[in-house]
Amino acid sequence: MKWITRERPKIDRIACPWLIKRFIDKDAEFVYVPFNEVILKAKELNAIPFDVPDVEFSHYGELCTFDYFIEKYKINDSAVRTMSVIIRGADTDRHDIASQSSGLWAISAGLSHNIKDDNQLLELGIILYDALYSWAKLLMKEKHTQNPIDNLLLQVFNKFLKQKSGLNRKTPPWAKELKEIIQDQIDTNLALSLKEISKNFDVHPSYLSREFSKYFENLSFGDYIRKLRIEKAIKLIHSSNHTLTEIAYLTGFSDQSHFTRIFKKHTGKNPSAFRKNVLKSKSDTKS
Amino acid sequence: MKWITRERPKIDRIACPWLIKNFLDKEASFFFVPPEQVLLKANEMNAIPFDISGVEYSHDGEFCTFDKIIKKHNITEPVLLKLAVIIRGADTDRFELARQSAGLWAISAGLSYNYKNDFEMLEIGMKIYDALYSWIKFVPDERHIWKEDLRV
Repeated sequence: MKWITRERPKIDRIACPWLIKRFIDKDAEFVYVPFNEVILKAKELNAIPFDVPDVEFSHYGELCTFDYFIEKYKINDSAVRTMSVIIRGADTDRHDIASQSSGLWAISAGLSHNIKDDNQLLELGIILYDALYSWAKLLMKEKHTQNPIDNLLLQVFNKFLKQKSGLNRKTPPWAKELKEIIQDQIDTNLALSLKEISKNFDVHPSYLSREFSKYFENLSFGDYIRKLRIEKAIKLIHSSNHTLTEIAYLTGFSDQSHFTRIFKKHTGKNPSAFRKNVLKSKSDTKS
Repeated sequence: MKWITRERPKIDRIACPWLIKNFLDKEASFFFVPPEQVLLKANEMNAIPFDISGVEYSHDGEFCTFDKIIKKHNITEPVLLKLAVIIRGADTDRFELARQSAGLWAISAGLSYNYKNDFEMLEIGMKIYDALYSWIKFVPDERHIWKEDLRV
């Protein structure tokens, strides 16, 4: 089937073709012509006019043409319903009805400014609405930040530190521990957290935290993870030619001084002193 | 110059290449590799690693890598500074920073799901950032209203 509408499409005249192609008629063709030629050309080409006034496929009250297609073809896909609100918001300048409308509008207005060929615009638009559909169908709940809980912890902790320094009190041990854990979380992409692990074991995090040290060399969860990382660092010092900066990175420390401090705590030596010893003992055995 | 970062880019790792290509070095080339190979390959290939922790071009506090490039290279074009806020909001899950962030995130997340080839993703992403740039620069006040639109 052929469909025809006004030239220079932005939102509705791209979103509707997407909907038609994906849910109504995958072989549909679309024609864009100047506003005053739509009805005439529609007859000539035996095409269905849409998104112009006084035709069936058009705006009704607050609803846009995309909404009408959904209604008319009884499309019950929940992702399409989610999209329809975003599209309506962007198409009718009511960006308050969906938080994604402003972004969709900005990108669509910019695309329309950059691309003057309507068919090329449609091609890119289809990619855009396919993306929005995947998001609405599968990813809506997903957040981008790798570990949102870390951010929250960090905020709370920074706030706490500010208050503390204002009162000039000594930091209690638990806060130090918390700081280490947060530092670790920032440093490592492994993002091991008690909370997630406890979810896997189906036990409460505080129970796991309490019980952990009984079975792991009397170490807390944080200490145990750090110990493993230092052991890995020692292995790397022995077996590779990496610089200490590289080793710090490879073992999940983004901050050299933090690495040095933790290393010394575990081995009693600075990494550089430790490495010198290793090199010395190597050359001793050779000679 | 070569630039290298983690594979499966979504926001920052697409927006930064766009910024670099358009405003710093139009000959720049980009590589996407598994996270644990970024620094190793960077060394091997003499490429600049970006958007991975522990390198210069990376997140800094609440700022993302796009912000970092702008700061480091003293970019002051107001359009880019505005764009940076939208990108930061989308990249760091702080949609309250700019009204456009939530939509940029939704579209980027969906694109990344649909396009598993990082270079295809980059190619489409370049057009998205071209569009956002043009919107801020040329048509920020344009309104799309059904009846008014028809009279134009």
